[in-house]
Amino acid sequence: MSGSARRKLLSASSAAMAPAPKPLATAANPHHVARSASGARELNGILRLLTCGSVDDGKSTLIGRLLWDASDLYDDQRATIERSGKLAGNSGQPDFSLLVDGLAAEREQGITIDIAWRYFDTEKRRYVVIDSPGHEQYTRNMASGASHADVAILLVDARSGVKKQTRRHAAILDLVGVRRVVLAVNKMDLVDWSQDRFLAIKAEFEVLTKRFGFKEAIAIPVAATTGDNVARASGKTPWYSGPTLLDHLDGLPSRITEPKGQFRMPVQTVLRDGIDFRGLAGTVSAGAVCVGDRVVDVLSGQSSRVLRIATMGRDLEIARAGQAVAIQLEHDLDIARGAVLSGAGHEPKAADLLEARFVWLSETAFDPKAKYLLRTATDLAPVSQINIKALLDLETLEQRPAPHCGVNDIAIARIELSRPVAVDAFADLAETGSFMVVDFLTGASVAGGVIETASTRSPQDGKGLTAQAQSHGFVLSRERLASGLCADLGQSAADRAEFERRTLEVMKLLSEAGVAVERKV
Amino acid sequence: MSVAISHLDLLEAEAIHIFREAAAQFRKPVLMYSIGKDSTVLLHLARKAFYPQRPPFPLLHIDTTWKFREMIAFRDKTVRDFGLELITYTNQDGLDRNVNPFDFGPSVYTDVMKTAALKQALDLHGFDAAFGGARRDEEASRAKERVFSFRAAGHRWEPRKQRPEMWRLLNGRLGPGETVRVFPLSNWTERDVWRYIQREKLEIVPLYLAAPRPTVERGGQLLVVDDDRLPLKPSEVPLVQSVRFRTLGCYPLTAAVRSTASDLDAVVEETLTARTSERQGRLIDHDQAGAMEKKKQEGYF
Repeated sequence: MSGSARRKLLSASSAAMAPAPKPLATAANPHHVARSASGARELNGILRLLTCGSVDDGKSTLIGRLLWDASDLYDDQRATIERSGKLAGNSGQPDFSLLVDGLAAEREQGITIDIAWRYFDTEKRRYVVIDSPGHEQYTRNMASGASHADVAILLVDARSGVKKQTRRHAAILDLVGVRRVVLAVNKMDLVDWSQDRFLAIKAEFEVLTKRFGFKEAIAIPVAATTGDNVARASGKTPWYSGPTLLDHLDGLPSRITEPKGQFRMPVQTVLRDGIDFRGLAGTVSAGAVCVGDRVVDVLSGQSSRVLRIATMGRDLEIARAGQAVAIQLEHDLDIARGAVLSGAGHEPKAADLLEARFVWLSETAFDPKAKYLLRTATDLAPVSQINIKALLDLETLEQRPAPHCGVNDIAIARIELSRPVAVDAFADLAETGSFMVVDFLTGASVAGGVIETASTRSPQDGKGLTAQAQSHGFVLSRERLASGLCADLGQSAADRAEFERRTLEVMKLLSEAGVAVERKV
Repeated sequence: MSVAISHLDLLEAEAIHIFREAAAQFRKPVLMYSIGKDSTVLLHLARKAFYPQRPPFPLLHIDTTWKFREMIAFRDKTVRDFGLELITYTNQDGLDRNVNPFDFGPSVYTDVMKTAALKQALDLHGFDAAFGGARRDEEASRAKERVFSFRAAGHRWEPRKQRPEMWRLLNGRLGPGETVRVFPLSNWTERDVWRYIQREKLEIVPLYLAAPRPTVERGGQLLVVDDDRLPLKPSEVPLVQSVRFRTLGCYPLTAAVRSTASDLDAVVEETLTARTSERQGRLIDHDQAGAMEKKKQEGYF
């Protein structure tokens, strides 16, 4: 559908649900969404939107403007913005950036240093705006914000165009898996709405984005302060036939819920109900699974069929990506937190050797002698060694050999684990292909990264329960319990329940004491 | 192609995921139960997350002794109906000093009877994680809050020391002296909470529904006279009118709104078309700009 056709549709539907007279909104904000009975329905999905750019590019103003024009702000929020605009005395133009800027310390410094989350509904869907800082010293903040995003708006000032920073931002987006980007060329009013200027910036942007794996990259000429081409098509850009920013965003697909990709469910915890129910609880992270499907735990090599997919409301026949469920298997496998369920023949890797890229998040630099842990979807495994091979120069995109890394660096590294974890390559399956590096002593999240390839150091003993148990240290077996702690128990239902209770208590005590336990009961 | 899952389904699944991560990673979690609508949703999600088990943690209610009577009755019924464990805690020192919302300013009262009480209760029981119903859409300083919000020793919230959260990975490994507040409703809005209550047909405190109640008007705010502990000024004569609450706190600190929405559907309709955000009804937030941020640094939930 062309941009203008989309615009017509949007304004038609806006008119149809025209709000009751609103003191601040109506005339100036034709796209303002009425808060009416339409709000009672459930919105179709969620789009997470990252905004990146520097303060000077007018980022907060752009998002503030989007909220002001297209969303369902409350009157008291509108009044606050109107009032602060008057206090600032800037020619009666409200300061839209106040809708986005958060903590007092940041307001005083006039910069945004942390990630702020904003929520608004258009008539179509829920938007989550992730506002992240743009300066070089905040690469880590941007990377963590971007890791949650479906789409990113890169903001540039029409007077200065694509900068080194824009290139850096694009590289970070690519690293953490954002596949759709929009270049908002802001302050077009300050270059007299020059088509030549816009086309020159757009051309530069296209050269830049070709270097990355983006699915889609478009440029839109806007003026955030006046709202031109933000939610309202501008009369000042007759030469531009594309969509407004809002039209474009409204047309983008939400992620997560696409059934493509192989089934994965990282097991979070095991739920029990008497002796009849043992459910593997988790959120399906990719694909789908049906009752009757054979599922595999790649770490132990065990497999069984899905007997039941339980939720509190009702049992399901199929569980899809994004759904949180508890899966009961036909045969009760010895599977615990950290396992990743998959379909037979399409397993993730049971890997203890990862080639990876990560952004170093901690103020404390990487220390080859320090002890780290690797957190995957639901597993936490000891790292035996991290070998940093190179740092990625975000502006030239070249790799510079280096043995160390510090805050805001993007490192290319090899990670060796002391036991296998179930993972995928990030490019295939993001949820099971991403990780955090955790400091063993402080618990701090010191790096966040993506897996490029996953393999096994020693193929002979790298798979199966044996290797897992060896590296785990302690195996709690039924025999061991039955001959000692539970010697007084028989086979009655009550005794079996008591056996179970004692088993869990022992496991709890051991893990509290820092001993990793493998259950064979 | 893609199968549409509604935004409420996605939010529900995300909250369940967070509950399960926290229960698996922390040694001794507790659910902060404040009886209001957000707590109602929070508890419902906790039950879903661990079904068919019961939630593997108790509820903690900080009782300021200034809650509406209907709130306490609702709390006790909820605990009974779902077979849950409830821990209540009151700051005895504050009670002994007669710290109440009339003789003390809202911020002192909140600090003593809520913030200090919460810290005392968490320390007393040794809870290392507390689930709360805070949402990022509530207030500017909360817009930057993490799902796992770490507190240094003394429960202090240090905005600059919060851990980055990436993708759906939640790192709950605690450093020395640290505890954590867990916010499964982080990405919900006020309207989502109401939509969800309606969709799941959840029971809520009757105070959320309009009914004739005795009221007095003070400083533009409508106060409900719940019992004889509200000191009336000579000029004040309680007026019975149809009101309800959009948010529930301690009774003199929470204002009512005039409304005839006497059932859930009407309340949801009224909320979804409302023109002002809910915290306007809470007097403590009007103290000063950035008030919530200061309170958070001191450990207010």
